[in-house]
Amino acid sequence: MRAQLPRRVLLSLVLRLLFLKPVVTGSCSGDDQELLKQLQRQTDFMQDTSRLLDPYMHAQGLDVPGLKEHCQEHPGVFPRENALHGLSRRGFLQTLNAKLGHVLHRLTILQQDLPKVQLTVKRYIYGIRNNIYCLAQLLPGSSETAEPTQAGTEDSPPPPPASDTFQRKLQGCQFLRGYHRFMHSVGQVFHKWRESPSRSRRHSPHRALRKGAYRMQPSMRGKRLMPRGQLPQ
Amino acid sequence: MALFAVVQAAFLLTLLSFRTYQSEVLSEPLPWTPESLEVSINSAQQCLYLQWRVHNLTHHQELKMVFQIEISRIETSNVIWVENYSIPVTWNQVLHWSWESKLPLECVTHFVRIRSLVADASIPEPRFWSNWSSWEEVDAQKSLGQDPLFVFPKDKLVEEGSNVTICYVSRSPESNISCAMEDVPIHGKRLSPNVSVFILNDVRFIRETGTNIYCLNPSNMSGIILYVSKVLEEPKDFSCETQDLKSLNCTWDPGHDTTLRHQSSQRYTLFESFSGKTKLCEHKKWCHWQVAPDSQETYNLTLTAENQLRRRSVSILFNLTHRVHPMKPFNVFLKSISATNATMTWKVHPVGNYSTLLCQVALHGEGKVIQQHNVSVKVKSQYFLSELEPVTEYVTRVRCAAANHFWKWSEWIGQTFTTLEAAPSEAPDVWRNVKSVLGSHIVTLFWRPLSKSHAHGKILFYNVVIENLDKPSSVKLLSIPAPANGTELTLDQCSYQIHVTANNSVGTSPASIIVISRDPGNKNVEEGRIQGTEDGFSLSWKPQSGDVIGYVVDWYPQDPRCQLQWKNLDPNTTSTVIRSDAFRPGIRYNFRIYEISTERIAYLLEKKTGYAQELAPSENPQVAVSNLTSHSFSLSWKDYSTDSQSSFIQGYHVYLKPKEEQCHPGFEKVVLSDDSVCCQYKIDNPEQKTFVVENLQPESFYEFLVTPYTSVGEGPHDAFTKVTIPDEYSHVLIRIILPMIFCLLLLMVLCYLTSQWMKEKCYPDIPDPYKSSVLSLIKYKENHHPTIMNVNDCVPDAIEVVNKLEGSKIQFLGARKSLTEMEFTKPAYLYLLPTENYSGPGPCICFENFTYNQAASDSGSCGHVPVLLKTPPSQLALLTSPENLLKTLEQNYVNSSGGSPAGETSLNYVSQLASHMSGDKDSLPTNPPGPALCSEYRTQMAVSLGLASPSPSENSSLSSVTLLDQGEPRR
Repeated sequence: MRAQLPRRVLLSLVLRLLFLKPVVTGSCSGDDQELLKQLQRQTDFMQDTSRLLDPYMHAQGLDVPGLKEHCQEHPGVFPRENALHGLSRRGFLQTLNAKLGHVLHRLTILQQDLPKVQLTVKRYIYGIRNNIYCLAQLLPGSSETAEPTQAGTEDSPPPPPASDTFQRKLQGCQFLRGYHRFMHSVGQVFHKWRESPSRSRRHSPHRALRKGAYRMQPSMRGKRLMPRGQLPQ
Repeated sequence: MALFAVVQAAFLLTLLSFRTYQSEVLSEPLPWTPESLEVSINSAQQCLYLQWRVHNLTHHQELKMVFQIEISRIETSNVIWVENYSIPVTWNQVLHWSWESKLPLECVTHFVRIRSLVADASIPEPRFWSNWSSWEEVDAQKSLGQDPLFVFPKDKLVEEGSNVTICYVSRSPESNISCAMEDVPIHGKRLSPNVSVFILNDVRFIRETGTNIYCLNPSNMSGIILYVSKVLEEPKDFSCETQDLKSLNCTWDPGHDTTLRHQSSQRYTLFESFSGKTKLCEHKKWCHWQVAPDSQETYNLTLTAENQLRRRSVSILFNLTHRVHPMKPFNVFLKSISATNATMTWKVHPVGNYSTLLCQVALHGEGKVIQQHNVSVKVKSQYFLSELEPVTEYVTRVRCAAANHFWKWSEWIGQTFTTLEAAPSEAPDVWRNVKSVLGSHIVTLFWRPLSKSHAHGKILFYNVVIENLDKPSSVKLLSIPAPANGTELTLDQCSYQIHVTANNSVGTSPASIIVISRDPGNKNVEEGRIQGTEDGFSLSWKPQSGDVIGYVVDWYPQDPRCQLQWKNLDPNTTSTVIRSDAFRPGIRYNFRIYEISTERIAYLLEKKTGYAQELAPSENPQVAVSNLTSHSFSLSWKDYSTDSQSSFIQGYHVYLKPKEEQCHPGFEKVVLSDDSVCCQYKIDNPEQKTFVVENLQPESFYEFLVTPYTSVGEGPHDAFTKVTIPDEYSHVLIRIILPMIFCLLLLMVLCYLTSQWMKEKCYPDIPDPYKSSVLSLIKYKENHHPTIMNVNDCVPDAIEVVNKLEGSKIQFLGARKSLTEMEFTKPAYLYLLPTENYSGPGPCICFENFTYNQAASDSGSCGHVPVLLKTPPSQLALLTSPENLLKTLEQNYVNSSGGSPAGETSLNYVSQLASHMSGDKDSLPTNPPGPALCSEYRTQMAVSLGLASPSPSENSSLSSVTLLDQGEPRR
């Protein structure tokens, strides 16, 4: 637990640097609209291919005719947008959180190929996951039943890591393209959430969200965040 | 014959038996044949690994054997490699051999076989090869997956410049497979329906992540990464040195970095041959080597650079004490700093027992090394710096090296210091300019600021001591604060000696002395001209007296705002070149050459004036045209200054645009720069600034231009001035007609005045009773005072001022406003003022102006009569009724003039009882005048229409005036 504390502090500082309203040390914002707004901005940032994909393709020499055409998203790695729209809010947040965890893991593998940009992107992903956590805190736990943690189960599983370097290059490229597309889809979902607050009120009335948030805060003070990827039920 | 046949048969049998024996011997296997041959593949290195054994060797038996290995590709008959491998073989030994294939082993099937030969000396000859082993087939394609397309070799690492062979293997024979390196297509050779080979020559480094090579068909793509590294270079400038005899610091230049992504980078190791120690270096450019405590003096260090493809080494042998590179000194201080000296102290780090160092002290001033000294140092040292300049910033630095075996200097360490001030060492350079004004000398002193090397500090002020040489006791001191560079003195006609000194906080400079003589010297020196060049102005002069201490040339531009400059010259000099960056083209400079006598009196020798570079005039003079006649006019440009031009004016050109083919006499035809033809008249005298253009045609116009000309050209041909020539008689007419008009006007005025006088005397408009001739007759006849009815005896009635106007267009002269436009908000009243001694029944009678206020008249009252005034009832009654009023008016109305001309403003006779009334003038005679209350005239009131134009405010005045338009219908 002591080891977790500096990480949270570092994360808080990183988010402050990113001009995002921080969700730090158990103190989440009770304003779901504000959280949605921040998440919208973050997903807008992350869907930009110049953040990850373009530097990667350039570093690997894949930005040439004949190769860049093969840098297409591999189906099944990230859920499609219609699948995301079909999820409940809790299920959507769980899926997003899990996928971002996979992305963080994959970025660590790609660290040697993206030494400069991957650190910044990782910070952003940490910020998104914290806001997901805070948004999940505002969801009423009783109104939602158990949700699948993965969306798009009908999709084929992601391909196994390739044995040769060339195929791994292509897979990294395909993964990053899928990630940017996925973040675009996530942004669309958040956009829809912001445009239809009635559903939000129906399922999780704003007042109830705030109550829940306020009720949660005392217990969160002085405690660390829940482990990454673990959302409240 | 039979014998021959028998012998032949026996020979054949013998031969047959020998062949049979031989074949039996050869067919028997040799005891040391290679067996158990195994072939494996290393795909990463594209190597075939062979291992085998040799049986039938006894214990401790070692035989030198030769193994011949054959490698075939695709089919056994296609042998591509044969190699003899010699090796001593012992009992039960497993033998290894590898072969690197240029073609990836996965591309095609390979076959390997081996045989042996005993080459040991212990085995007598003849030696025979053993039988070949059976062919071992190596088919790497069998172990490939089910992918439809493969490209080989995978992740191969080569050096830049290498030739690389790649291939693709397709599961199905296809012809539409294309391959490319990066985005450049490559073309290969088909080995089989499923395999094609590509040879890439002289591959170059592209990026750290490797070069992408790929093949694709419409449905599949496969590729490889070819890692091309830079060629590992031999380390350059490998050197080792020590600062403390405890450790060595070795450095080198590694050259190209051969590091690739996903590949191990180049590494460096140090090996010392005497001690046998090795160290793997952590850095690519330097490495520390710990010196052995056993005082090893000589070192033989080898630096090895190594990567996966190459290994390079470089060695140095040296004595440790010969590679001492001391650390830079420390604790550098400066003490006892004066104006010219300072002492520098410092310490050095000890270098083991080898502690004697040679230190170098360098003194820098203004960026240059001024002094440099070597000092032998143990631990602490100092150096005395002398011959310094006052108030100068210096940088002193020190570095050290081993005294006995010089290797390298240490780094410099330095300190900055500034020496103290001292008194100025030089007298200021002083010059003067003297003007004689009204019996006194105006002396302007100039001095140049002392240079830094002479000022020795900040100059605070200048002392000017004026000593009257004619009155030795008269001394005057002026203290002029810096940074002034001159002053002006007014001196009388005596001789003066002037001392000028510069002073700083420490002391005073030597004095600069000049003498102003009571004799102003030679004033009649004529000014000569001088031509400047790019090098400046070259001046020369003839000395007038041999006893001089020097010469001074001063100069100043024509612009008075610029300051005098001067140059001091030796007494033996009779010429000089004045150079200055301040010289500008087109500016006239005046030079004066003085000789300085031993009494320090300056005598003017010569005066020169000139231009550094003459420029053509940029402006033409402003020309005034005068004396314009029908045949000539004069031009004048007297305001044009020839001295302030950009070159010496040699004269003027007068251009006249011709009206005819021929030019006027004196003019010559020239073609201007714009190809126009003009007549030019040349004036050679620059001081002639007038010109008369003659022989002109009357009633025409001419265009002229006056421009100066110089040795470098003339002024601009910009705008010609037009002059219109009058006709021949106009001036005559003007001279006659103007006086005639004047006389006529004078005559008219006289006539008018005479007529007025006559009118006044003979038939005035209103006869003055006092001036009546009747009075003179009465006086003459009765000889008593003529009696005229006193005004005071009469009750004032009324005064009417009748304005006779034609139409409604008559306007007030002053206000320029027509009567019809005038609006009176109040009725106009005409007050009858009582005379001074009037004691009648009422002081005033007023009439309302019915012309402008009919309503008021209808009321039958006069609201403007003062309440306190008591108007006689009879009169009031008479006047307050309109009918009565009308009657009264009719009875008293007198029309003295009988009407004025239409439109004429006139002063009319005013009757005391006359009142304004409505009605037409023509109707007046219909009502005969009634009995008048007073028949005597009173003082007449003359009212000018123009001057008496009433204003609304004036309506309330006591003497309101009613103006009537006679021609306007009555209402």
